[in-house]
Amino acid sequence: RRRARARSGTRPCGLHELEVRVSELGLGYTSDETVLFRYCAGACEAAARVYDLGLRRLRQRRRVRRERVRAQPCCRPTAYEDEVSFLDVHSRYHTVHELSARECACV
Amino acid sequence: ASIFSGTGADPAVSAKSNHCLDAAKACNLNENCKKLRSSYISICNREICNRRKCHKALRQFFDRVPSEYTYRMLFCSCQDPGCAERRRQTILPSCSYEDKDKPNCLDLRSVCRTDHLCRSRLADFHANCRASYQMLTRCPADNYQACLGSYAGMIGFDMTPNYVDSSLTGIVVSPWCSCRGSGNMEEECEKFLRDFTENPCLRNAIEAFGNGTDVNLSPKN
Repeated sequence: RRRARARSGTRPCGLHELEVRVSELGLGYTSDETVLFRYCAGACEAAARVYDLGLRRLRQRRRVRRERVRAQPCCRPTAYEDEVSFLDVHSRYHTVHELSARECACV
Repeated sequence: ASIFSGTGADPAVSAKSNHCLDAAKACNLNENCKKLRSSYISICNREICNRRKCHKALRQFFDRVPSEYTYRMLFCSCQDPGCAERRRQTILPSCSYEDKDKPNCLDLRSVCRTDHLCRSRLADFHANCRASYQMLTRCPADNYQACLGSYAGMIGFDMTPNYVDSSLTGIVVSPWCSCRGSGNMEEECEKFLRDFTENPCLRNAIEAFGNGTDVNLSPKN
């Protein structure tokens, strides 16, 4: 398990894409249209800031313990796609905003 | 070759394949097409239809997206009603096409002619889709592409044409108008309207595009 984790960690945080049918997304739209779903994935190990190092140390020393703190960056979208539209099986059009990621970063 | 070749459409394929859905997919997977399609859909699909803005967004879509995407969506061939309804819905007709009442076609033509672009697009259509009985395809110079381009060129103007219904047999397209109340111009009105509704050149061009049989007949532009 650890090895698999380490291997997946070798790819740095970046944009990935998948062709998906709108219905597959489970958002309540019944449409057979296919959209390009872009998401963020990858490792952020190299992106640790002095902030994270300091926070980790304070957590180890139990100076910070009540709150949920995250002492390592996370691969997340920093910008989203404007909008995408599709026709559903009832011949109604829908427009969805910010469905896909446009940029990713370790934040 | 499969043993089914030459027997027409494979039933297993024709039941499942929907060329209009494939065309929407191709558009969604292209950044530029997806963006401009979403743009006209979100504008034309608003609760209160602003036809002027909807038409403008449609014109931008057909002007700025290559015809390999736009014609595919507009002229896809269909074997089931869902597909034909999708094809009819391409331009969001409830906002861009239909209206409370149907104007007289000659009156609509006059309105179109006050706009220099609408006027010239309509003239292109009459020239490029003119039924030519000497030609095999019934189109001037056997040029399907020119006719399809002129048809698409009128979308987003006062003469916006569309499929009149989602029936599968016999494609009929028309602008939103009728020849009622033409007075002594009835004959001219019918002649004008038939250029859309009963035009063998336009019909052949749309069918050939849908079947993919137009490739050898005209140069691609």
